[in-house]
Amino acid sequence: MAILNITYQGQSADYELELDFAASDDDIRRIAVEVVRSGGVRGLHVAQLSPRAFDDFVIDRLRGTDGAQRIYLRPKVPFGA
Amino acid sequence: MICGVGALGSTAVHYCRNLDAELRVVDFDRVESKNLAAQWFVKQSVGKNKAEAIRLQLANFYGAKAEAMGVRLAATNAAQLLADCALAVDCFDNADSRIALADAARTAGVPLVHAALAGDGMFGIVRWDERFVADREDVAGQATCEGGEHLPMIGLVGATLARAIQDFVRAGDRRDYMISLSGVVRTT
Repeated sequence: MAILNITYQGQSADYELELDFAASDDDIRRIAVEVVRSGGVRGLHVAQLSPRAFDDFVIDRLRGTDGAQRIYLRPKVPFGA
Repeated sequence: MICGVGALGSTAVHYCRNLDAELRVVDFDRVESKNLAAQWFVKQSVGKNKAEAIRLQLANFYGAKAEAMGVRLAATNAAQLLADCALAVDCFDNADSRIALADAARTAGVPLVHAALAGDGMFGIVRWDERFVADREDVAGQATCEGGEHLPMIGLVGATLARAIQDFVRAGDRRDYMISLSGVVRTT
């Protein structure tokens, strides 16, 4: 199981229920839309969120500092210089 | 060695000026007046090569030394540029350059840390190479923040990168961070 963290419009928060670490990218994006719409992610409630809001987002599967498996759904970061 | 001294790189290198290390700065580009709004350059640097401008600013304002390499890093010269480096820092603005640097750093066994920013200026990451995958722009050559509207976030990501660099140089730590308007979170 894994913790899902969602970053959207500059706000980042964890979803309190754990997901299957091996869930597909499409499933993660679909779940993220539902939980953000429903207010299930503290600080990230967008009732009218587009079903395609996360289509271009990146999914990272990492092990956190506490050893827990974490899934990050985040915007692309192509820029630096 | 800091590769790409635009917004993130120029900010980070200034926050590394107290580091007990020799800084090498790589960038082929020149400072334009529009860069002054989002990058750590001063008016007197306009027209100069960015790596050379950083070297001069560090020397003139802070008495800090850096080596300037005013060239474009590519697969053909990356190994030579990385010679004798203890750490490489990726602040490029395109996936191809990030990948060329990563390939060369892995081959040379040089630790590499990346910093990257979202186009809307509301999110960034600092991540070590073993966990990093370069994101591509939506459109090749896509510009971000020429008017300085994202400057506070650039400062935050650049400062976080400098902290990651300093922690590595001092203690060998390889810490990843995620930076949003919610704050800076260590992810590994």
